[in-house]
Amino acid sequence: MHAPDNIAPDNASRRAFLRRSGALSLAASAAPWALALSSIGDAAAQSATDYKALVCVFLQGGNDSWNTVVPYDATHHALYQGLRSNIAFTREALAASALDPLGGSPDGRQFALAPTLATGLLPLFHQGRLAVVHNVGTLVQPTTKAQYQARSVPLPPKLFSHNDQQSYWQASSAEGATSGWGGRMGDLFASGNGTSTFTCINVAGNAVFLAGDVAIPYQVTTSGAVPVNGIKSPLFGSAAASQALRQLMTAPSSHWLAQAHAQVAQRSIQAGEQVTSALAATPLPAPFPTGNRLADQLGLVSRMIAARQQLGVRRQVFFVAIGGFDTHDRQLATHPGLLANVGDALAAFHRATEVLGVAQQVTSFTATDFGRTLVSNNDGSDHGWGSAQLVLGGAVQGGRLYGAAPVPANNGPDDVGQGRLLPAVAVEQYAATMARWFGVPAGDLPLVLPRLGNFGSADLGFMTA
Amino acid sequence: MTPLPSANSPQALDCRDAAPTPPDGPAVPGVALGLVGTLALAACGGGDGPETNDPPSALPATRSSEQTARFLAQATLGATRPEIQALSQRSLDAWLAEQFARPPSSSHVDWLLSQGYGAEEFRFSQRGLDNTIWRAFIGGEDALRQRVVFALSEICVVSVLGVDSAWRQFALAYYLDVLQAHAFGNYRQLLEAITLTPAMGYYLTFRGNAKANPKTGSQPDENYARELMQLFTIGLVQLRPDGTPVLRDGQPTETYRAEDVSGLARVFTGWDLETAGMAKPYPPEQMCRPMVQVAGRYETGPKQFLGTTIPDGTDARTALRLALDALFAHPNVPPFVGRQLIQRLVTSNPSPAYVGRVAAVFANNGQGVRGDLRAVVRAILLDPEAHDPAHLQDPAWGKLREPVQRFVHWARAFRATSAGGLWDIGDLSDPGSRLGQSPLRSPSVFNFFRPGYVPPQTALAEQGLVGPEFQLTNESTVAGYVNFMQRAVATRNVGDLRPDYGSLIPLAANAPALVAEVALVLAAGQMTAATQAVIATAVQSMPAKTDSDLQNRIHATLLLVLASPEYIVQK
Repeated sequence: MHAPDNIAPDNASRRAFLRRSGALSLAASAAPWALALSSIGDAAAQSATDYKALVCVFLQGGNDSWNTVVPYDATHHALYQGLRSNIAFTREALAASALDPLGGSPDGRQFALAPTLATGLLPLFHQGRLAVVHNVGTLVQPTTKAQYQARSVPLPPKLFSHNDQQSYWQASSAEGATSGWGGRMGDLFASGNGTSTFTCINVAGNAVFLAGDVAIPYQVTTSGAVPVNGIKSPLFGSAAASQALRQLMTAPSSHWLAQAHAQVAQRSIQAGEQVTSALAATPLPAPFPTGNRLADQLGLVSRMIAARQQLGVRRQVFFVAIGGFDTHDRQLATHPGLLANVGDALAAFHRATEVLGVAQQVTSFTATDFGRTLVSNNDGSDHGWGSAQLVLGGAVQGGRLYGAAPVPANNGPDDVGQGRLLPAVAVEQYAATMARWFGVPAGDLPLVLPRLGNFGSADLGFMTA
Repeated sequence: MTPLPSANSPQALDCRDAAPTPPDGPAVPGVALGLVGTLALAACGGGDGPETNDPPSALPATRSSEQTARFLAQATLGATRPEIQALSQRSLDAWLAEQFARPPSSSHVDWLLSQGYGAEEFRFSQRGLDNTIWRAFIGGEDALRQRVVFALSEICVVSVLGVDSAWRQFALAYYLDVLQAHAFGNYRQLLEAITLTPAMGYYLTFRGNAKANPKTGSQPDENYARELMQLFTIGLVQLRPDGTPVLRDGQPTETYRAEDVSGLARVFTGWDLETAGMAKPYPPEQMCRPMVQVAGRYETGPKQFLGTTIPDGTDARTALRLALDALFAHPNVPPFVGRQLIQRLVTSNPSPAYVGRVAAVFANNGQGVRGDLRAVVRAILLDPEAHDPAHLQDPAWGKLREPVQRFVHWARAFRATSAGGLWDIGDLSDPGSRLGQSPLRSPSVFNFFRPGYVPPQTALAEQGLVGPEFQLTNESTVAGYVNFMQRAVATRNVGDLRPDYGSLIPLAANAPALVAEVALVLAAGQMTAATQAVIATAVQSMPAKTDSDLQNRIHATLLLVLASPEYIVQK
């Protein structure tokens, strides 16, 4: 037996901590370890009485943030345009989506949203609900350009590789990681949820983000849970066959793959009915755009939030995702449409949370494999690293851009060549800011984000207290 | 000794440019596997009759039906009871030789044309693609080849979802034809052939890729260069021949850097669709021939990557060849590709020793040839680790059958065929209402699942093992699959596909016998007596008077087996 290569050392001590706690627990399977902690008065056991939800909106493929949050002041726009003249927006095209931040731009740097984000998100920015965080990316520790070039500090493994960077964003570890920071937050709150099953909800395909040590992602389609018809109704006319079907699908096994499969089937069958009945009472709280897969997913999230009391949850982490952002070619033909979908879906989702009266309790944030090169290829861009992200919700201190605005250059001070930005903010810091708002005590943040201590600030300031 | 295959046999044609062995591996004729006394002569690993130059396997010439069914589950997408029966009385060597020699199912492109999918109304649709794929996977007599084609399509991934061209069904059909043609050929030739397909040119965006433009500052698109290295040849970290990572100070070593990607990207410039002999609006055949060079877009300067330099002024075709030669010669290729093929066919967590044996055959097939896929497939399927009965008791052994494999297995096992020749089963990607997977429709170039995916909170995860197909396994797909198969076995929602349950009808009144038969055919006898008893008890309680009663019993038995984890896991 060997331990997975890429488990952070802190996870070993975290696992030991969990196991020690589990050893103190009484009713083993029904009481997750967090209850045991509360029985010994440990602050890490969360029993939130309010409701909060975090929604990770993953843009798969590596979103080009140069054309999402676009340099707009004349000097920097010229630099930007000069390096990708075939795929850049002109200043004229950006005029209608220029950002006017609260407190102005003391450093003289101005930005505009991509034109197709304007309808959905520009008003939200100016209402103070949407924040921009500059140049977020995967890091092991703060890294200067000289250190990167000399490889003199540890770097995230497999930079510029889609699957590994997606994993690193979600789990601080390359492909093969077994838990993500969303799931690790779920671990801390699962016991406070009446039904811990619904702590981490995945409306996209399997992703490590929501996997915890205790919390398991529960996957649901955009039209709800999928019942097993042959269990719900007689199978080929036979009730006995229905029962056998249920028994067989969920039968425990000494074979590890069979057991793993049966576990998923068991959860599907057990929780499915509860989800279906909850969703039956919660139609879409507000209109959502059609023909927009992100909107479909966020619509379902809004219905799950509406059903939170029936589902017995107080803290939830959601994961939604869309693909298509790997714009190596035809960027101008495809990227604007993708962003339009993102902006429209997020705006509809925020509206839905307002209707439900939970706008200040739900925070959505973007994430992506990496940014892209500022320098273009013929009609697109290639894999980059740091990128701007968006955070949306009633508790967001919006209308501002956080972090140092990167200089558009090719091999300038902020990039490692071709305008691939060296991240100034680590994913851990971005995540910690939201985790703190979610209710994770400062002392427990390292359980969720093991490398957080490598970085300066654990609170970038874009959330209200 | 058998004479060389004729130059007209498909295998010889594939290997006209057979790559030389790398400098560190001198040709070692005929000794590699340690089982051979004779010097083999077929330079390309070919052999076009029952008498072959392949080293004989150590397996007995006859074996039980269960053992044979187990082998066929690894070697094919599904087999009937008579096929299992017949093979249990024959040597596996003979079967393999026959399968290698069997020509491919008819060309996908030809079939699309013959069915009228080249008509103008289909120019911007995908219509026909799923049809021809199901036709070959379910109906193809070349069982081994189709299994390998499917496996290759999950390593060298192209997905119709990312090919944004006219006639995309033809582009993908041609891609499949290329995989079919090279499945038992040489991996080096396969690489060159897929590189030049229009489908790949569109999918990994280098069709139309141009050299750097100093005026606009644009650089060549790096997509293909990166994914060719990361996914089709060498992977991300240096590997030992047994597939384990090379560690320096406890850390893996990267195989390439950003500069290597940029350097290699310069090779993949100037390629575009051939238009010679065609007028607009271009016919489907435009997507069915190798790409060609377009003047003025190719980067003629030197290209440097991975310690190789392609000199200034090298023409595009030569540069392409040299680049592929350099990648192909990298020591990572045999374990990187070999291990994934083992994962596709046999088990998710092969021992390093198994990987090492297969990688050794990839590096040198015994006749000094590197990349002989026929030899590699043979080595994978005949390796003792694949057959060891002890592994049936190993809690970590085997692989989850992917949804497409389960569906096609049922179809092939019961000789399902398309009543009207339409094969209109359709796109089965939807997870809630279909299989949750459909061939050549992967969501990205990373396939439906990663070779390194670890299902969280499982014994596999605790033990540091992988379960790639678990990436498709969640609360929705487990239910969606069972719902789809419940309809499929009763021939609903599968177009004009019609299975043949003739072998089951005589057994249907006898529930234990019916269950035992299905358990053998589908689960290769890996279903415990206890599980079979659960199914038999339920089925026994169902009426057995009318024909319709018997059909219900058959459908119920099939579904209960197909839904059991003991079937879903292939050991």
